[in-house]
Amino acid sequence: MKTISKPASGYEPAGQSRQMLSLSINRMKPKLLAVRGVILAFLFILVVYTAAWGAVGCDLNDPDRDVARLFPESTGYKTIYTSIQKKGGEKLLSTVETRLGDKFHGIYETIDVPYTIYEIFANKKKIGYIHGVNQKGQFGGIQVFLVLDLQGTIRGFYIQKMTSQYAAKLRDAKFGKQFIGLTIKDFSHYDVISGRSSGKVEAIKNPAPEAEADFMAALRATKKNLILMDEFIYSAEASPSAQEAPKK
Amino acid sequence: MITKFQVAYKNLLRKKVRSSLTIIGIALSAWVLVSLLGFNRGYENSLNRDIDNMGFQLMIMAKGCPYEAATLMLKGGTGLRYMDESIVKDVLKEPEVDKITPILMSAVFDPNKGESGGIAAYFGVEAKSFAEMKPFLKFRQGGWFTDENSNEAVMGFEAAELEQREVGDMILMPEKNIQFKVVGILNRTGTQDDGTIFVPLKTLQKIFNKPTEITTIGIKLKKGVDSTRLEVALYRLPDVQVVSLAQVKDTIMKLISTAKVMVLSIAIIAILIAVVGVINTILTSVWERFQEIGILKTIGAMPWDIFQLIWMETLMLCVSGGILGVIFAVALSKLTDIAMRRVLPYAPGGGLVQIDLKLIIVTLIGIIFIGLISGIYPAWRAGRIRPLEAIRGEVSR
Amino acid sequence: MSEKITAIEVTNLTKIYTRGIEEIISVNNASFQINKGEFVSIIGPSGSGKTTLINLLGCLDNPSSGELRLGDRSIFGKSKRLSERELTQIRREAFGYIFQNFYLIPTLSVLENVVLPLTFYCKPGADDEALKLLKLLGIDNRKDHLPGQISGGEMQRVAIARAMVNKPEILLADEPTGNLDTKRSTEIVQVLQELNRTVGLTIVMVTHNQELARCANRIFEMRDGHIAQIEPRADGTAAEIACPL
Repeated sequence: MKTISKPASGYEPAGQSRQMLSLSINRMKPKLLAVRGVILAFLFILVVYTAAWGAVGCDLNDPDRDVARLFPESTGYKTIYTSIQKKGGEKLLSTVETRLGDKFHGIYETIDVPYTIYEIFANKKKIGYIHGVNQKGQFGGIQVFLVLDLQGTIRGFYIQKMTSQYAAKLRDAKFGKQFIGLTIKDFSHYDVISGRSSGKVEAIKNPAPEAEADFMAALRATKKNLILMDEFIYSAEASPSAQEAPKK
Repeated sequence: MITKFQVAYKNLLRKKVRSSLTIIGIALSAWVLVSLLGFNRGYENSLNRDIDNMGFQLMIMAKGCPYEAATLMLKGGTGLRYMDESIVKDVLKEPEVDKITPILMSAVFDPNKGESGGIAAYFGVEAKSFAEMKPFLKFRQGGWFTDENSNEAVMGFEAAELEQREVGDMILMPEKNIQFKVVGILNRTGTQDDGTIFVPLKTLQKIFNKPTEITTIGIKLKKGVDSTRLEVALYRLPDVQVVSLAQVKDTIMKLISTAKVMVLSIAIIAILIAVVGVINTILTSVWERFQEIGILKTIGAMPWDIFQLIWMETLMLCVSGGILGVIFAVALSKLTDIAMRRVLPYAPGGGLVQIDLKLIIVTLIGIIFIGLISGIYPAWRAGRIRPLEAIRGEVSR
Repeated sequence: MSEKITAIEVTNLTKIYTRGIEEIISVNNASFQINKGEFVSIIGPSGSGKTTLINLLGCLDNPSSGELRLGDRSIFGKSKRLSERELTQIRREAFGYIFQNFYLIPTLSVLENVVLPLTFYCKPGADDEALKLLKLLGIDNRKDHLPGQISGGEMQRVAIARAMVNKPEILLADEPTGNLDTKRSTEIVQVLQELNRTVGLTIVMVTHNQELARCANRIFEMRDGHIAQIEPRADGTAAEIACPL
């Protein structure tokens, strides 16, 4: 049988076809990346939410209302979840305990406690943070929230929850005012075990001497809060932190 | 050789956006359907478990609104009225009764909970009879109070966690300013007991000046007895109402059944819309390929071959959409759970959305079946195309 | 002299269309024979009925009256009307088709287009035909390309390969060069000539191109539904068409 020969001309060279094929693949790449992004977002939500359901954390009861009240010039906020476990594990825990001057206690103050940091914004500009910690009080848990500026200075102090006959005095605005302007540096000389201090922290007066244990608990919570924020946020943003051990 | 499956699959790839949108439509309906069926099962299972974990099968409480009473029981709130504890003797006389436990629920206002304060609730119980009613309650630390007149407390897992309490710590009852020593912390049960603070019944009666009053009697029946006679007998007691936990379950299920019917209707509408979308997509595709189908018949395709090709396309869209919808439902079941808890008046502990393999398979089969039905008309229409009409469609002589 | 075997025999074949109250006689009492291995072209002006005739021959439609025999089988005759299923069965066994518009499936590759008929119906030995046909037609190097990636002439070759994959008895070509330029038209007709010569395939080709029509052994000229003239060539062979360029 005679083979029919190829036509003389009019072919597309094979190379052009390969080019067309690779062009098609390149056009598909952004679409594939977008799909992957969506899948990762779903997984992230799932994992983050699962993580948040572990040990009990300290969240604002009504973030929309509370952020507006605590940071009046804010227009919005973003919520970050973290823990000592996630940020640095045992090494970070050891650093925090050294700076605090005390070990983490009991079955509730552990390495995997979730911390909720509210990043505060005025339009698109970040203007500060709100962060709360749980602290064991004499008759119940104390939830101490600090309102901080971008340099780590306290501009607001809020006890969301406290169980005590004298809780009203410690939750009063007058008591909280004593903390405004203080920084981690001021607390570096505060001994959380003995309650001894110097400088600005020494000047903080206890309005309820009958509730000395809760007063000391509030101060310990404040120091812990500042250290954690320093480790989680301010050091990461390359602000130097005071590392002096407390005087005994 | 190229199979009909491959031909059908490549046809779907011809209009990727259209095929994708159709698949997403089916996926969304499948997601709603699986989530809803998972919620139906999860809610009922969790509610059953909550009720079983109460330990009692019947409860007696002072007469009041049964709906409020039922939900308040399960939410661990306060009773509205009180009964005299002498009723206990009358109840114990009944032959069907195995065990009973009296409970006094009381609450105080705590102004130091958040911005506007909150309720702190306490259950006064007899440690011995309460523990006998709930033998599955285990302790994380410590145990029950031994002195029925002491100022001791046993805390549920979450209550202890919130207050950062361990055995040996003190708690304070707001308003009354009375201190209690924590002697026991329970393991997590997944019920309202997790958020409860238990104190001795007599102690609570003294604090609230209700020396002989209680709010509830929990009753456990002997095995195999019919509770109907007992319920009738108990109703004869003055000023009490009898709540069987089966009744509580029914009441709560009735409360949410209206919502369930509404959501089920929405799911069905979503599926119908998706089905219409599938029919539209396939029909449009058939009209677009009118000539091509005519040529397929010219080169030897029987009407049944064309029917199979088009039907396979429908099947592929429905299977893809169904699987994607199931993946959405499973992956986002936790978020669905959270959303449901925000909306429902009462949500039991445990997973509200329970999706298992059987449910997935049943739903997928349902979606495929609906898809196959919806594909019949377009496939039949395609099979009837006459090659000559198709060829003439474009070329005019 | 070799014995001629009849491939197609047509007797008084008529097709009448009704448009409202008007009746149009598209094919009027056509009678002829086409032998096995012949290459026949049908020419005529627009509306002469040549497409209707080839559609009847190819069992794409039922005639209004008349008879059609394929070999020794009677297909249409004595008011015998066939169902779509029966027509498809005959088409499968006897015919291969190529059209002016190629009608390749755009989502399938060249090879997949060629083997497509085998998805629905497969004669013994047909599986191996596809690659052989592509090689025979000089397009085996394009087997993985999509129709959108090849030229018109190549597409028509693919259509020819597809038409032949199931080993038909007769190839029907309705204006196969209608969408091609002169050069590619010439190539396609050369391909058909080669197939007719080497494989002995019976070919019926409708064309309006007088020059290309002359490549066939016999020419049927149609006018107003009648076969006005049948022209055999003097020596019964096809002449090579000189490239018009």
